[in-house]
Amino acid sequence: MNRPNVNETLDTTGKCCPMPMVETNRAIKALLPGQVLEIVATDPGTRTDIPSWCSRTGNRLLGMTEDSGVLRYYVQRV
Amino acid sequence: MKRLAIVVREDAYDKILTPLAFAYLSAAEGTEVDMLFVNWAVRALTEDGARALRVEGAHADADHWVRERVAAAGLPNDVRTLLAALHETGKVHCYACSLAANIFGVDDGNILPEAEGIVGAAWFLNEKAATADHCQYF
Repeated sequence: MNRPNVNETLDTTGKCCPMPMVETNRAIKALLPGQVLEIVATDPGTRTDIPSWCSRTGNRLLGMTEDSGVLRYYVQRV
Repeated sequence: MKRLAIVVREDAYDKILTPLAFAYLSAAEGTEVDMLFVNWAVRALTEDGARALRVEGAHADADHWVRERVAAAGLPNDVRTLLAALHETGKVHCYACSLAANIFGVDDGNILPEAEGIVGAAWFLNEKAATADHCQYF
């Protein structure tokens, strides 16, 4: 995937549930609608948590990448 | 999910972490969380009780290691600080069961300021647990 234009990056590297989701909820609120948050994570639980959270909240998951255990999610605020 | 009710009875450090983490997670999404602390767990709602919690039983010798891992995961690794963090969300409400408070020595004089207070179990079960979208028991 092409990397979307990112407005903010949240680095949760090394952290585990619940912190990536706690911090993601906090970070998305700081953005304006339409802006994009990049979430960097190493918690494998985010593979299910972030898409599920996007479905519930309406925020749009533009894509995700995984490289050597580092997951990057691109979420556009609704 | 709009409202979650949690009953906490286990007071070993490692066993109380899960309901507290679930509460933190739910509050982050805007869910109102009501937690009733019963049995020994009610003592977690006091300054001394929260700080005294330890990993117990077969894993008791791993207390220090567990705390290190919890800190590495990004969570406050003592229950007192974690309860304060939950309170700061404005979404998590902790109650002491009146029976447990009476048995285990929790009163208005030693309950944490972050707790909502001492309540009857009937009130919690009917007003909070029965009306929540989901209820959990730890």
